Formats: sequence, C-alpha cells, structure tokens
Amino acid sequence: MPAGSTLSTHVTLISSDGFEFIILREAAYVAGTIKKMLDPTSAFAEAVTGRCTLGSINGVILEKVCEYLYYNLKHKDAQDVPDMDIPPELCLELLMAADYLQGKPSEALS
Amino acid sequence: MAQSNNISAAQISADYERRRREAQEAAEREGVANAAEVAEDEPQEERVETAAQKKKRKRQQEQALAKIKKSKGKKGKKNEVGEPDSDDDAAWDMYTKKTPLPGQLENCELCDKRFTVTPYSKTGPDGGLLCTKCSKEQEAARKKDAKPKKQAVSRDKRRHTQSNLLDGIVSDGAKSLEQLCIEKVADNIRDVEEFGDLPKSLLNRLSQLLSKRRVITSRTLDLFLRPDYDTIDIYDCGKLEVDDYIKMFAVVPKAQNVNLRNAGQFKDEVIDYIVERHVPLRNLQLEAANLVSNAVWAKLFSHCGQRLEYLKLTWLDYSMDDDTFDHLISGCPNLKRLKIKKCFRLSDQALSAISSLHNLEHLSLRFPAPTTSPALRDLIASIGANLRTLSLESFEEADDEVLSTIHHTCTQLTKLRFCENDLCTDAGFVSLFHNWQSPPLSFIDFSSNRSIDYTQPDGPEEDPTGLASAGFETLMAHSGSRLEHLEIASCRHIDYAAFARVFDGKKEYPLLREVNISFLTKIDTTIAAGIFRSCPAMKKVTAFGCFNISDVAVPKGVALIGVPNAQDSIVQEGEMEMDWMP
Repeated sequence: MPAGSTLSTHVTLISSDGFEFIILREAAYVAGTIKKMLDPTSAFAEAVTGRCTLGSINGVILEKVCEYLYYNLKHKDAQDVPDMDIPPELCLELLMAADYLQGKPSEALS
Repeated sequence: MAQSNNISAAQISADYERRRREAQEAAEREGVANAAEVAEDEPQEERVETAAQKKKRKRQQEQALAKIKKSKGKKGKKNEVGEPDSDDDAAWDMYTKKTPLPGQLENCELCDKRFTVTPYSKTGPDGGLLCTKCSKEQEAARKKDAKPKKQAVSRDKRRHTQSNLLDGIVSDGAKSLEQLCIEKVADNIRDVEEFGDLPKSLLNRLSQLLSKRRVITSRTLDLFLRPDYDTIDIYDCGKLEVDDYIKMFAVVPKAQNVNLRNAGQFKDEVIDYIVERHVPLRNLQLEAANLVSNAVWAKLFSHCGQRLEYLKLTWLDYSMDDDTFDHLISGCPNLKRLKIKKCFRLSDQALSAISSLHNLEHLSLRFPAPTTSPALRDLIASIGANLRTLSLESFEEADDEVLSTIHHTCTQLTKLRFCENDLCTDAGFVSLFHNWQSPPLSFIDFSSNRSIDYTQPDGPEEDPTGLASAGFETLMAHSGSRLEHLEIASCRHIDYAAFARVFDGKKEYPLLREVNISFLTKIDTTIAAGIFRSCPAMKKVTAFGCFNISDVAVPKGVALIGVPNAQDSIVQEGEMEMDWMP
C-alpha cells in the first residue's frame, strides 16, 4: 500500500506453514510486533502490502492468536473479562508466540 | 383436600358458565333490538365501526373490570358473612360479556392471528390480548430490558475486583495472552514435559507463579534446569531435598545467578558440591538456608567470594554469626549489592565489617538483634558516598545523628528506606533533606517513623517525633520532582495542613506512581482527591485504615486499596472531575 492512500481495513497474517488469516487491522494492532510491522510510516514490506509473514508461528497457533486478538479487541474497555479458553496442549507454544508478538521487552528481563 | 378443591372448582366453573350464557343471551336479545331500532339499514357500517372502536371499548371494559375487582375485593372483606354478591356477579357478567374468556378464540392484537385464549395470554401494548407466540416474545423483550439492572454488583465479582486490586491489577480489558498462557501452563504443570525454548523472563514468571501455588517439586524443578542456562530462580524450594539442589548444579554447571527462596534443605553437602565443581556464582540469593554450618559458609565465601557481586541472605536464624560474617565480608570484596535481613545473630560487629566493602552500591539491612547508633553512623560514613540504595529497616536505636550522617555522606542515593524508628525527630528529617547535595530520590520509604508513647498519642507538642509535617514538606520539596514511590504509612504526626499544602492539586509530582498512606487517619477525601490531581502518573494508592476517605472519584487506571468507606468507588471509569476542590 503506497503512503498517502487510505489504509485497508483488513490485513493478512501468514503462518509458517502457509495458512493465511485475514483479520481487522484494528485487531492486528493489539499485538505490538504486528503493529510495528504494519506501521504506515515505515517502509516495511509488510506495511506496504498489508501481509505479515510470521515465520515462527504455525497455523494452529496463529489461529488461536487471531482468536485472542479479536477477544482482546472485543473486551477492550470491559471490566471483569472472562478468560479466553486455551487448550492446554497449545499453551506453551502460544506462550512463545505471545512473547514474540507483544513486541516489547519484558520488564523482568531488564 | 385436592379432590374437594377440584369439586368446588368444577362447581364454580359450572355456575360461572351458566351465568355467562344467560347474560350473553340477554345481551344478544338486547343487541338485536338495538340494531333493529338504530341502524337497521346500515348493518355493515356498524360492524366497521365496531372494529375501529374495538380497542377503545376493550380498554374501557378493562378499566371498569379493574374497578369492579377492586370494589369486589373490598366488599368481600367487609361482609364476609353476608349473602353472595349477586349484584357484583351481575356487573361482572355484564362488563365481561365481550371479553374473550379462557377457551375462546380471539385475534391477536399484534399479528392478527386467530388463537385460543388461555389464562396465560398476555395483554398487548394497547390492551388487547396476544397469541402465545407474541406473548412469549413480549416476555422475552421485557426480561431483556430488566437484565442489566440485576447484574449490578454481585459479591463474588466485587471480591474478585478487590483481589485483583490487591495484586495491583486495575487495567480494563482482557488479560494479556502471555498472562493467560502462563496461568494455563501453571494449571497443567503436571502434564508438561519440558518448556522448550522459553525466554528467560517467561521462565522467571512461571517460576514465580508455580512457587506461589507451591507446586515446585523435584519433578517440576527439572523444567527449569537446562545445561545452557546461567540462571536458576526458584521462589519456593520448600519441597526440594539435598539431591535436588545437587541436581540443579549438576545440570546447570554454569549457573551464575542463583536465587533460592525457602531453601530449608540447602545443606553443607550442596555447598561442598558448588565449591568442588567451581560453579561460577556471581549473584546469590538464599533464604532460610539454616542447615549450613558456619565452617561451610566460610568455605563457600573463601572459594566463590571473589566473583560475587550480589549477595542476599535472609532468614538465617541459627547459622551465620558475627565471626562467619567477617569471613563473608573478607572473602567477598567485590560485592556491589548486599542485602542482609532477618539474620538473627548479627549485630554491631557485622555493621562494622560491612564498612570495609567500598564497592558497595546497594545496601539493605534489617537486623533483629539490637544495634547501636554509632556503629550504624560509622558504617554510613565509610561507604555512604558510593551508595545508590540505602535501606535501613527497624534500626530502633538510630537517632538524628544517623540522618545527619546520611545527609553529609550519601550524595548519590536514588532509593532510601528508613523505617520503624521512634527516636529520630522531625527536625532530624528536615535537616536530612534541607540543602541536601543528593539529587532528588526516586524511592522513599519512611514508614512508621512516629512516637510510640501511648500516653501521648499525638506525640510531643514541641519538637515532634518521627517524620512530621515539616519533615514531610521538606522531603517533597527535595525529591518531589523525581519521586516515583513514596511510603509514609503510620507517620501519624504529619498534620492535615501539611498534606493540604503538599497535595494541593496545583503542585505536580510528575513521576509519582505509587504511594502508601495507610493509617494516616487525618487524610480525608479532599486530600485523596488532591493526591490524584497532583500525581498524574499515579497507579496505586494504598490507604488501609484511612476512615475519612469516602466517595472519592478514583481516576481510571488507579488502584485505591484498603479504603473501608469507599467500596463502590474503588475503580471508577472516566476522567477526574474535581471541580468541587477548594
């Protein structure tokens, strides 16, 4: 997408095994890393094409990630949000994906 | 009983049917006569008119019915023994003749469908009856409208909110995916075989959560051990045995940062193993390792001491006496950070030993055994100049001269804790902060600096004890611009006017985000509001026992904890509105 024109409402996330998830740009922005990738002021390929290839995340996990992004967006200002259900077998991989996608160094690291 | 009821009900219904039939016949006769008399030539128009006025008439009928029912009820109560209300029955029959009765057919008011009237048929918006389907829909709509009100405050929810508040969680919206996953992993820790390539920070958080739930066992410990790690953080070692500790250092031979809390079974054998294998320890934190003998402590520090930069020893109540501590200090000359807390056998001798550590930048002490003010003064005088952190908890014998020594020597501090003392005076605190060379501090904890003389609950009138008004104002004047964390719990000699001047809503403390004002009973709603206004970055206000705070408007994202009289306003959305401020 060339700079200056209006941003697309949806963006595409592509998993390591080639699954494509087309989600709302607003939802994608929940994840800090994806937001930076799509930053319209940057000249990243992702920002230009609106397609983010996430090479470290497979389709199963990315589907869950997308579910979370929408879940987060839906409950943005709500209080006492019910926890999203995460299948136990996915939680470790999802944890790694979450760590990567939140896009900021954890304070525990410093 | 039921049978007799049935019988009488049947009788009543039979009577009713009979009366209704009679009345209807009479009405029909009358109606025919009327029709013949008034509008013999336009029967069709009459019918049209009937349809148009149907609703109106129904409403009138219903009103009349209601009136009759009322009067009937009253009368019935009045003359219980009297004759049956034949008059009322007649009136009833007369007025109800056109109202469809249970069992009869009627057109639905909303959808115009023909349906059988039942006792459960609902009245529509215009007073007509509704068919079963429309009745149900109407009920559902009504329930939907009523629901939000009912949800208002459930006890569980409030408890949950409070619990989160105590954990400092006030942000709206969903938990982070990371948090959700970590909790899920902790829930299912029994099924986890290995963590894989989790980043260090996540491992640490998992360890914290698992320790909190007390599920770190010999088996779960394995998840945190990998040969390529250099860090071992286990916050609850309560279930680990000597073999587990040895396994730690066998699997992670390059461990540099070791943090073991609740390490009751951390014994001589483990230290022997560490010394034997030359584990390159640099940061060591041990809590409650009470089974280590003095001789082995000395051995550990003479072997690993040179490398040690950070040492934290807490809750050592049997081992580690003053002489062993001398070994520790002489063996670890390069310490930058030293925390010694609740080591019951250390006293003045240990304080003077620490004064030889000239590389120290951070020093935190809490000695349960009594110490003297001169020993503490000497310590600060000799190493204070380099210190970034000075934390002195519960040094009850420390007096104003200690504060004055801090004033003269410590000029690089960013964090200062001096709590649980009743000897220092307000004048001492004023002179500490007045014209202090040290740049503004970011962390100040002066909790419980107050008089504990029960005969004078407000302290001496002249020359107040502890951190009082003047000291507090000087403190804020010196450090307010950089202060992030302030604890003044129980400093109860600070008066209202001082708070009002410091938190007047105009002065701004741009970085202050956490404050503890517990048991400062003089603080009221106005001061609390002033705190919110003066501290735009505020995140957490701890105010246990502040009974004068009530109905305060808590800005979004701020946790106000412990206020007993402001339960409902604890988390409030929206921006601050404090036009009523003086």
